[in-house]
Amino acid sequence: MDLLRFIAPKRSAHAHCDIPCGVYDPEQARIEAESCHRILERYHASDDDVFRTRCIVIKEQRADLVKHHVDVLWHDYFKPEHVEQYPDLHDVCWKASKQASAVKQGTDLDAAKKLLALIDQIDEMWKGTGGPGKTRMAR
Amino acid sequence: MFGRLIRSWGARVAVEGHSMAPTLEPGDWLLADPDAYRDSPPRVGDLVLVPDPRQPSRLLVKRVAEVADGALFVAGDSPDASTDSRTFGSIDPASVAGRPRFRYWPPRRMGRIS
Repeated sequence: MDLLRFIAPKRSAHAHCDIPCGVYDPEQARIEAESCHRILERYHASDDDVFRTRCIVIKEQRADLVKHHVDVLWHDYFKPEHVEQYPDLHDVCWKASKQASAVKQGTDLDAAKKLLALIDQIDEMWKGTGGPGKTRMAR
Repeated sequence: MFGRLIRSWGARVAVEGHSMAPTLEPGDWLLADPDAYRDSPPRVGDLVLVPDPRQPSRLLVKRVAEVADGALFVAGDSPDASTDSRTFGSIDPASVAGRPRFRYWPPRRMGRIS
């Protein structure tokens, strides 16, 4: 294979998408938002101050992760042509980010429900733009 | 003709990544003409080798999607797998490093490319 080595290029020309692995799935955001919802249920059912304090700490961490995952989808996965396909894409992602903040700040269970519904809207757009086939590995 | 071949041999590159599929596939080895755009800048539809504006030592292979006010907007043939001018903005035509012309490997895909 010496010949092959001789004729092999010395340089690469990258036709990549960014280093990013290109793996995206709103399920990540959904799982963290479900955590928030479940934690808030337990928070409201408890009268143990220490437990309730822990609930708030963990819920805030999870809500922050929701924000992160929504942002990654919004900034990295979705492309201009997806916005053409779903004109309300920016609005939904923006609302989901805002809603994650609301869940982080408060203890309202309905706020967590609303967040889940918004993530499901993002999930629909992810599916509608071929997300499952393009961004997840086949099992 | 012979001079161009020697220059192209010096400017051979290996394709990595899927953003130019199906035109170019990872593992394709290309000959590029480094002087192709010396006298006239690239036009819409041309293949180009350009430095990554975010990391100039890294070479990208893309296609010119638009020329506006002398600046090039480059894109991949497979938009979903491509990071391109949508992310890093326009490219200065003077920075273009060459034009891929010919695939010499793998043998079954050998031939001119455009």
